[in-house]
Amino acid sequence: MKPSPLNPQVTRRGFLGLTVGWVAATFAGMAAAAGAVRFLVPNVLYEPDQRFKAGRPDDFADGSITFIADERVFLLRRGNTFRCLSAVCTHLGCTVNQAAHGYHCPCHGSTFNAQGQVTGGPAPRALSWFLVALSKDGKILIDKSQTVPADKYLVV
Amino acid sequence: MNAPLPTRLWRWFEQTRVGRSIFRVGVPRSQLSRAQAMVSSFLLHLQPAKVHRRTLRPATTLGLGLISLYLFAILAITGVLLMFYYVPSTERAYHSMKDLQYVVSAGLLMRNMHRWAAQLMVACVMLHLCRVYYTGAYKRPREFNWLIGIGLFLVTLGLSFTGYLLPWDQLAFWAITVGANIASYAPLVGPKLKFLLLGGNQVGQEALIRFYALHVILLPTVAAFMVAVHIWRVRKDGGLARPEEEAEDTVEEIAVGQLPTNKSYGLMELAHGTTPQVGIAQEDLVFSWPHLLFREILVFLVVLALVLCLAIFWNAPLEQFANPIHPPNPAKAPWYFLGLQEMVSYSAFWGGVVVPGVLVAVLALVPYLDRKRVGIGRWFARERALANTIFSVVLFALVVLTIIGTFFRGPNWSWQVPWKDVPAAKEEP
Repeated sequence: MKPSPLNPQVTRRGFLGLTVGWVAATFAGMAAAAGAVRFLVPNVLYEPDQRFKAGRPDDFADGSITFIADERVFLLRRGNTFRCLSAVCTHLGCTVNQAAHGYHCPCHGSTFNAQGQVTGGPAPRALSWFLVALSKDGKILIDKSQTVPADKYLVV
Repeated sequence: MNAPLPTRLWRWFEQTRVGRSIFRVGVPRSQLSRAQAMVSSFLLHLQPAKVHRRTLRPATTLGLGLISLYLFAILAITGVLLMFYYVPSTERAYHSMKDLQYVVSAGLLMRNMHRWAAQLMVACVMLHLCRVYYTGAYKRPREFNWLIGIGLFLVTLGLSFTGYLLPWDQLAFWAITVGANIASYAPLVGPKLKFLLLGGNQVGQEALIRFYALHVILLPTVAAFMVAVHIWRVRKDGGLARPEEEAEDTVEEIAVGQLPTNKSYGLMELAHGTTPQVGIAQEDLVFSWPHLLFREILVFLVVLALVLCLAIFWNAPLEQFANPIHPPNPAKAPWYFLGLQEMVSYSAFWGGVVVPGVLVAVLALVPYLDRKRVGIGRWFARERALANTIFSVVLFALVVLTIIGTFFRGPNWSWQVPWKDVPAAKEEP
């Protein structure tokens, strides 16, 4: 007798057929889902290079903190040393403003001291310090893809 | 025959070969054809031929689900019109908005209607959720429809969120920056999720086109499908929730392929499960045509009039061109996300991921946790005092957070009181 919903008698052939069918359908579904997600991950990004040249060391006065708006960083000079601090709040990515004793985020009120450490608000981490180097043509080169400890300087 | 000319013309048209092919039943003039009209029309068949008197009382549901549906329709129509002018590119998006406001005939009206209908829809969907909760209408057999409703609530928020990147103004840019960063706090997949959402590391052209695709096709399609299932389930689950004393002899569950024996059933009741007809005294039912349809059309006219008035008297805001360098100070999300933003200002992970995640999860599980079949179909039933109190406390907390975020937060998200002069946000250093 043939198995039917009213007579759910399982035959070996029916069981194997159902198993193979369900396994195949599961794999096909998972492959389609994985493919769809992978399709949505871009392979090429048309984003600006994370490295940029900030100008000659002489362009920045001693003791100055310069906000480089397009790159959302602060360039700090003290004596003959240069450091570069991220202006992107570690909380949710707003641009922090320079305040009297450090930095303020306007979005959710995080505050940072002059060393970029969190002094208040919801920010979970200190602001990042970026690698500063001198390029061959004598300009300051900043690489935003590489973070460094706060006590690492470029000495000119 | 002294009917007015249009009526006579319509009656003539109904009886022509073409008229009969389209309408089949025609304008109902008997009780039989009133039922047939509802069943035979594609647009009307989502509704029953007869409804309970209780359904028609405004206080039963406040019409919130219906109003949400109408707002969705208004949004779909104005949205498609806006698409004829909107260009989803970072260079042209903002200027399309300016064109719509100053150049396109009725462009300003369409944008304003879209905006206010969207705001109203978010509010109505939230209120609808509260109504269903406070009337205990999520209980068996309506558990799954409650889940679909939660899904629709999230899709509504998603539509709203994806929609406000599109003008590419300051509010748009910074709201999406903040929103995408909240996503990156999700455990394990967070940063990848943000990358996927934005199509890159920053809010830029790729993010704009992604949000556009989500906003104009993917999410509306999902929403429309879910709305259809939602309404269909209302019928299949036995119409609107009724107080138990009125529904006491409702047939609870009918096993597949088996008819209950405690009632005499005509062929009409050969369907499985509970139907609106089962367990209601016939005298409590009225014909949907015209009683339900008339009220539905009335509600639609009121909703349309309200949206039109809002759109005529108040313009949708458009801030300055998106500037990735300077967030506005304070940078605020729209009102329905300000409670979330206030929580996020304490901790992005707890306020932006854990608390909302737990709230939605608990909300979804409510019908499976609260299984006692008491207090169904009545507002604030005494038997549900505990459930209603818990819900009200959470709701109150969210409202307070929203009010704080809206009125008590000034530049740098610091405390301010709304009745004092707000110090002007400091200009760029």
